[in-house]
Amino acid sequence: MTVITLALGSALLAADPTPILGGDFWMPPPASTFAEGLDQMFMFINWLCYFFFALIAVLMVFFVIKYHAPKGHTFRMDGPHHHMPLELTWLVIPTLLVVPIFWLGFAGSRTLGVEGYVGLTTPPRNSYEIQAIAQKWSWSFKYPNGVISDDLYIPAGEPVRMQLRAVDVLHSFYVPNFRVKRDCVPGRYGYLWFQADEPTGHSRYHHLFCAEYCGNGHSQMNRRVFVLSRTDFDAWLKNEETWLEKIDDAELYWKAGPKLFARCTSCHTLDGVSGVGPSWKGIWDRVNGGAGSDGTFLDGKTYRDLIGPGKEFATPEDYIRDSILNPANHVVKPFSPSGMPTFKGQLDDRGIDALIGMMKHLDEFDPKTAKWLKATPEQK
Amino acid sequence: MTAINANNDSVLDHTASTDNYLTHTRGFLSWALTLDHKRIGVMYLIGVLTSFLGGGIFAILLRTELLTPGPTITANPTTYNIWFTLHGAIMVFLVIIPSIPAALGNFVLPIMLGAKDVAFPRLNLFSFWLWVIGACCAIVSLLVGQFDTGWTFYVPYSTTTELGGVVPVVVGVFILGFSSIFTGMNFVVTIHKLRPPGMTWFRMPLFLWALYATALMQVLATPVLAITVLLLIVERTVGIGIFDPSLGGDPVLFQHFFWFYSHPAVYIMIVPAMGIVSELFAVHSHRHIFGYRFIAYSSVAIALFSFLVWGHHMFLSGQSPLLNTLFSAISFSVAIPSAVKVFNWTATLYKGSISLTTPMFYALAFLILFTIGGLTGLHLATLNTDVHLHDTYFVVAHFHYVMMGSAIIGMIGGLHHWWPKMTGRMYSENLGRIACVIVFIGFNITFFTQFMLGSQGMPRRYYDYQPEYQIYHVISTMGSYVMAVGFMLTAYTLLQSLWSGERAPANPWGGRSLEWQCASPPPHDNFPVQPRVGDCYDFSCLRWSEEENGYIVDRSMDPELNANAPKRAEGAR
Amino acid sequence: MRPSGRKGRVDVSTLPANASAHEHGDGAGGKGHDAGHDHAHPPFLAHHFESPAQQFDSAKLGMWLFLATEVLFFGGLFVAYAVLRNRFPEVFSYASHYLDTIMGGINTAVLILSSLTMALAVRYAQTGKKTAMLVCLWLTFGGAVGFMVIKYFEYEHKIHAHLVWGSTFYTPPHDAAGRAEAEALKQPLQPAPAIVITDPTVPALPMLAVTPPVDQPAIKPATQAPSGLASTAAIAKAEGLQTGESTVGDHPSLHLEDKTMPANTHLFFAIYYAMTGLHGVHVVIGGGMLLWLIWRGMRGDFGPQYFTPVDIGGLYWHVVDLVWIFLFPLFYLIH
Repeated sequence: MTVITLALGSALLAADPTPILGGDFWMPPPASTFAEGLDQMFMFINWLCYFFFALIAVLMVFFVIKYHAPKGHTFRMDGPHHHMPLELTWLVIPTLLVVPIFWLGFAGSRTLGVEGYVGLTTPPRNSYEIQAIAQKWSWSFKYPNGVISDDLYIPAGEPVRMQLRAVDVLHSFYVPNFRVKRDCVPGRYGYLWFQADEPTGHSRYHHLFCAEYCGNGHSQMNRRVFVLSRTDFDAWLKNEETWLEKIDDAELYWKAGPKLFARCTSCHTLDGVSGVGPSWKGIWDRVNGGAGSDGTFLDGKTYRDLIGPGKEFATPEDYIRDSILNPANHVVKPFSPSGMPTFKGQLDDRGIDALIGMMKHLDEFDPKTAKWLKATPEQK
Repeated sequence: MTAINANNDSVLDHTASTDNYLTHTRGFLSWALTLDHKRIGVMYLIGVLTSFLGGGIFAILLRTELLTPGPTITANPTTYNIWFTLHGAIMVFLVIIPSIPAALGNFVLPIMLGAKDVAFPRLNLFSFWLWVIGACCAIVSLLVGQFDTGWTFYVPYSTTTELGGVVPVVVGVFILGFSSIFTGMNFVVTIHKLRPPGMTWFRMPLFLWALYATALMQVLATPVLAITVLLLIVERTVGIGIFDPSLGGDPVLFQHFFWFYSHPAVYIMIVPAMGIVSELFAVHSHRHIFGYRFIAYSSVAIALFSFLVWGHHMFLSGQSPLLNTLFSAISFSVAIPSAVKVFNWTATLYKGSISLTTPMFYALAFLILFTIGGLTGLHLATLNTDVHLHDTYFVVAHFHYVMMGSAIIGMIGGLHHWWPKMTGRMYSENLGRIACVIVFIGFNITFFTQFMLGSQGMPRRYYDYQPEYQIYHVISTMGSYVMAVGFMLTAYTLLQSLWSGERAPANPWGGRSLEWQCASPPPHDNFPVQPRVGDCYDFSCLRWSEEENGYIVDRSMDPELNANAPKRAEGAR
Repeated sequence: MRPSGRKGRVDVSTLPANASAHEHGDGAGGKGHDAGHDHAHPPFLAHHFESPAQQFDSAKLGMWLFLATEVLFFGGLFVAYAVLRNRFPEVFSYASHYLDTIMGGINTAVLILSSLTMALAVRYAQTGKKTAMLVCLWLTFGGAVGFMVIKYFEYEHKIHAHLVWGSTFYTPPHDAAGRAEAEALKQPLQPAPAIVITDPTVPALPMLAVTPPVDQPAIKPATQAPSGLASTAAIAKAEGLQTGESTVGDHPSLHLEDKTMPANTHLFFAIYYAMTGLHGVHVVIGGGMLLWLIWRGMRGDFGPQYFTPVDIGGLYWHVVDLVWIFLFPLFYLIH
């Protein structure tokens, strides 16, 4: 699944984008404005831990060697039972040590360059707002101008505020390189903010993970975060607004299909292997009275019973449209009635047309990567 | 009137027959319906160790799956999810929570206290059968569809997942909760009311203080788990709407309910192990524990404080910033008593007469692993670093260090310490020590790697992962195989002793608490005469006895009684 | 959970080898004896206890601990009540009118009286008045039964009207028209849009949120079930329009026709059934416990020397009563 997700990009790109790796022994590359400060906070606690661990370990080994009493030795009786000054010391010193750790964690420190919890949860007033909608098992990112994107594109050098929503169960928005994370709770909005100064361009990205267990596809909800300079970002946003409209009708299915299909890959494949949902392989035959059209639904009806003149769905296109917008109406055996969420609001009519077109021309797509097999448009 | 031998503290009756609690009566029903706390402890031990094997098998399965990104031994992520869920649920509810209190505690507590039994022996038996029923519910849930919710059962996933095993297993959890509550009630009343004359609170061995603090937590926290689980069942089956946002409910409310119990639960898991370790350090260094009062007070302080910090599991859940701040601050204060205990244990080694026995190996392992586990709690209690680390492998590593590396290691150390008492057999010290070292090495390879995995951003509960994390997973899995070998060797060592171990004396290690004054294994009624209560950490009058092949207490060595007594006690020849 | 009663019979397997070491609290004198049993040990004294006083104290402490667990068990539900009431004050204010205060009041009186008879039973057990004790135990049991009977009628009325939890609250009750409607309502649940919206511009500084007073005109009445289950017929009914079917029958769905009913009213009934139901379960368990005490009492097990089960059973009963004393005002009285 990850392979397909990574492989899908805009059909216009020559090479697939690659993740940004690196960082040091403990941490991934710091890519947000507060990442370095947080890494320093982490290392500060680490060094405290190294010190105390070394203290205990060395003392322990030293005492075991020095006071080892092999068989035959008599027991010493001079070990102290208590020592008030020492006990108070090692009560007071740890207490004194944890107070600054707590305080730095909570309030941070401008002088030390560490952002505290207060700062992490207080977005600047001029932040650019993007909505993240989490569902089983994909993300959608909604921009102020209505664009919906599968990957997260953000402008560089500006604070970005994510408004987080979940549609069904708990999810969590996590970008390790930015050091941000927040649960997405169904029924309420959450938010977090970050600012990335260094653009990644379209060819490199940061990982976005879901960090709250949400079922079968929890580990396969990964998305990509692209940081674009303001001009590039504006251009991308403009392009996205109208990308679907700008595509010629004849090219709709092969230019738009795979990009939209990215949202479907967590449950559907093209190669015949069932996932959470049935594979699209052979779907056009099934809905057109060809091979597999006697496949049954949960209510006992077959494709042929449902699709055709005078039946519930006059044309196969009607059926496919309904199964995208109201998936629970008719579910094929043996799949679950609550497996597929509705895509109302996420896919408009043109998007649905693109997907239907893709289903009609499935033989033109690589079943493993969902890429359009013809190399250039001229060969179509 | 209690009959006391003025010269010799031993209450052993050398002319008694070899009748002991194991041979006193025979037959299945004499065990199934026994009221003898020692037999109940043994039955719990068998159940807990069997469950540990089951939970361990799931661990090996899931670690093997994680050798490669994508499918390794299963192509279905739900199967992997079931494995980690079962590993967690079995280990938490069937193994670690009951292990020390119910298995070792039931056996040791009355004898160590100087009582004939716990306060409510029939309730004790009932607790055991409730544990069995809870375990059966877990097995039933495996047969009717399994469950993949994680041991934390977060809603809305647990109320909407199609796998049908959720309700049976949470019914099992409900029943196991009552098993735990009744054990806790029994221990609190026993320690309050059944102390013999002379056994004041501050004469009690520290293991009893630990069991007392644990029992308080069991009694007060577990009912909240019961109601949480009941609400979950009702929400899932009937849909009352309390946690379901589409019916006006709140998923985060479930988390509050769940962690209100589950945080004290983790202290229920670790405090008894700390109690064992206090005993191990004192006895195997043949030295008075350092800072007795503080350790005793800190056990109770941890028990009380544990109820105030549950929200530190929920910093990113949508909880209000005010609550987050309060929980973070109080979490730091809970760490302090544990830190001081670590210093006290280390100081107990100072000027001791240390025997490097197998129990001592486990105690030393505990000290190292608990220090690491406890210190990494600092990263997670700190609000800004927790943002990056929450729900990653860093948390997994942290809790395995404290739950497996500390609680289980403590339990196995205690098992080795009291094994001669329980079974009347000595195991091979060499094998025992080697097994401990193998487990220690395997454990660190498995879980230290996971700290780095987590800080590098790998989320937990992931079936599939990005290729750059693979090297860490491979190392971690190799470590888990080493650990498995170590545990196999431990099991072999102990089982072998049952067949061919030499007979154990009453006091093989030179302990001074009351359990070392009765035979190994103890007679049915523990003590033929009421034992005399002294300072359980006073090792001055111990003498190795060749004919006993163990230690005995020789009052003639007491300088107060005999001016010519040697200035030092004698160790084993 | 009550321990099964087998006191009074000797469990020989727990006899110590040398019992002369034990103290006898009743001063009967410790004659040495062998594995047989003698009168120096009262039959009710378990062998791991040194004296009846120790046994009684232990039983009492054990019962108090168990009652602490009951308080925490119910406490969880009280917290849930508080949370729901805080989030939906209008729901509680409105829905509590559906509860019959008279019946609740009678139940309260019944339970308080039964606590009195229970306390008297303990007193009579202590003073050895067996008949009076049995009468009081029977009266207490009668109180338990009476409480459950009244509760049965309360529940029955509400369940018929579908004043219940969850989405069933919004389906019209099953008369003939209702059943037909239920058939037509076979739609799957759709997830609802987000309900609670936090103000994004409020800075995230730790501060206590002030609960705003309930703004009655601003409360949106429910004309449709939040999960989209309402059919046009149900909506029409709620709007008071002609639907061509009889709305007056054995099972009126008043709440669905009331235009002032706030959204999420079903949550009130959810917590109501959860709490009173759990309490009812405890009353039934208490009833069983009372029968057991009566049986043992008739056998002559209790007297001034030994009345522990009656005493600690009384403690349990008083806590069951106490929980109801809290539930009654929270649900029936305050609006």
